[in-house]
Amino acid sequence: MNSPNVPVIAVKGISKWFGSVVAVNDVSLSIDPGITGLLGPNGAGKTTLLKMIEGLASPSDGTVTIFGQTPRNNPALHRRIGVMSEHEAVYGFQTGRQFVEWSAKLHGVAATAEATALAIERVGLADAQNRPLGTYSRGMRQRMRLAATIVHEPEAIILDEPLNGTDPRQRIEFHDLMRQLADEGRTILISSHILEEVETLADRILLMVSGKLAASGDYRAIRAKLDEQPYSVRIVTSDSRKIAAALVELDSIESVSIGAEDDVIVLSKNVAVLQRSLPRIAKDRGIRLERVEPLDESLESVFSYIVES
Amino acid sequence: MAEIFLLSLRQLLGRWRLIVILLLAALPSLLVLLIRAIGEGEMAFHGEFVGVVIDAMITGGIMPIVTMTLATAAFGNELEDKTLYFLVLKPVSRVSIVLAKLLAVLVVALPLVIASGVVASALVNAEAQQMGILAIALAAGVTAYASVFTLAGLLTPRALAYGLVYVLVWEGLLSTIVSGIGYLSVRGYTLALLHGMDESSFAVFEGRVIEFPAAIVGTVVVIAAFFLLALYRLRTMDVP
Repeated sequence: MNSPNVPVIAVKGISKWFGSVVAVNDVSLSIDPGITGLLGPNGAGKTTLLKMIEGLASPSDGTVTIFGQTPRNNPALHRRIGVMSEHEAVYGFQTGRQFVEWSAKLHGVAATAEATALAIERVGLADAQNRPLGTYSRGMRQRMRLAATIVHEPEAIILDEPLNGTDPRQRIEFHDLMRQLADEGRTILISSHILEEVETLADRILLMVSGKLAASGDYRAIRAKLDEQPYSVRIVTSDSRKIAAALVELDSIESVSIGAEDDVIVLSKNVAVLQRSLPRIAKDRGIRLERVEPLDESLESVFSYIVES
Repeated sequence: MAEIFLLSLRQLLGRWRLIVILLLAALPSLLVLLIRAIGEGEMAFHGEFVGVVIDAMITGGIMPIVTMTLATAAFGNELEDKTLYFLVLKPVSRVSIVLAKLLAVLVVALPLVIASGVVASALVNAEAQQMGILAIALAAGVTAYASVFTLAGLLTPRALAYGLVYVLVWEGLLSTIVSGIGYLSVRGYTLALLHGMDESSFAVFEGRVIEFPAAIVGTVVVIAAFFLLALYRLRTMDVP
């Protein structure tokens, strides 16, 4: 097992760029046993970060260690790690059981048949195990891939968007299984672009936006931190001057200006307050809200998160 | 390694790929049978047969194309299907992965290409020794091409298209008209090995092939160098 003082996964100043595109920018984090959710919109750099943690990609800068060892070109370390990538591809000619058994054998599992049966039982696919994977539904494929990921009882499990294609009942079963695995002392890192998927599951959330680690902590702390960030918001209404005059009286508003298209540009220190106040102010003054949108492109997806959740 | 080898073998034996390479491999024998059927007389294992069937047809076309079709798919399929991560995230050395893939290619390509040459030769009453020499030279050529194209499959998703251009232009055209290219041509090595092992049966190559020792060294160097390059590529690439 890992030394108690060393995090299971340690990422220090890691960056990855492809030509002039920076996918991950100077991210540092540490992950301990339990469930950690890696949250962020599509294109935030989650998968690139996970690939570097898994050893599939080399960082342009910075270091990654798992159990104190670098994962890149370190086959022996992979006995202790289970990885399920975002790609849903499988070897379609294999049956579910053959696929999981193949994974067990390559991981050097001694009692292959027993381990395979247990892993398939855990994901609830015993009835379908002898069917070719090519005939599975998307959700079933995901679950059988999960079985192959955990068949060797890894100490650390990394899952990239594992809930894609699963239905609500399968998600509940997935949550239960992750909780069981975490209770056994394993370290689980799950990425998702949907807040609701991980907020009830993860002990800790890492939020990535535009290649950077924007926040980390428990779900409520992150929500609070997001709410404190200043945002530029563009508002189109039926009466720009009247809404601007009302908004400028709010404590959380830093500035209000009227744009060239008779729209209102608001810089808010607390977007949650703006969200709550804006509809009330408009209603009280008989103003029709036509459009509300973030202006700062890099924060657009964060803003979407808050608005949507 | 056995698990990866068996999986790779199953991947390579896709129905359409198998049909195409079987048809290709059967062409020399079909040609001999066709010539017999239309009454053009018996072909013998010398002169015209060696020049047309062994050289132009087998070493210039069937051997590289059959091997290329299989070898570019060895890693190409994994990259295209995004399944390569299944392999590289297992506690298995990179050497074992490349070796398993290469062996799977050879297990399919060697019997096909050797049978292609040997059966056609048997149909023109070749002697056992001539067929044995042909089998050895073709085995060397197939192994060298397998090493080259296994790397190509790791380098680009268009390995088959680039490989075809290489086979037709470099191996098919330039190696036959520019003498120095024989030192840098797998086809050139194969023909030189045939000539070096049996000068009288393969006299048609006299004066247009490189020295026998150079062919042996060239073949070994190509096999080893491209295997190591494939290994290096697998170790350093970002896996999708």
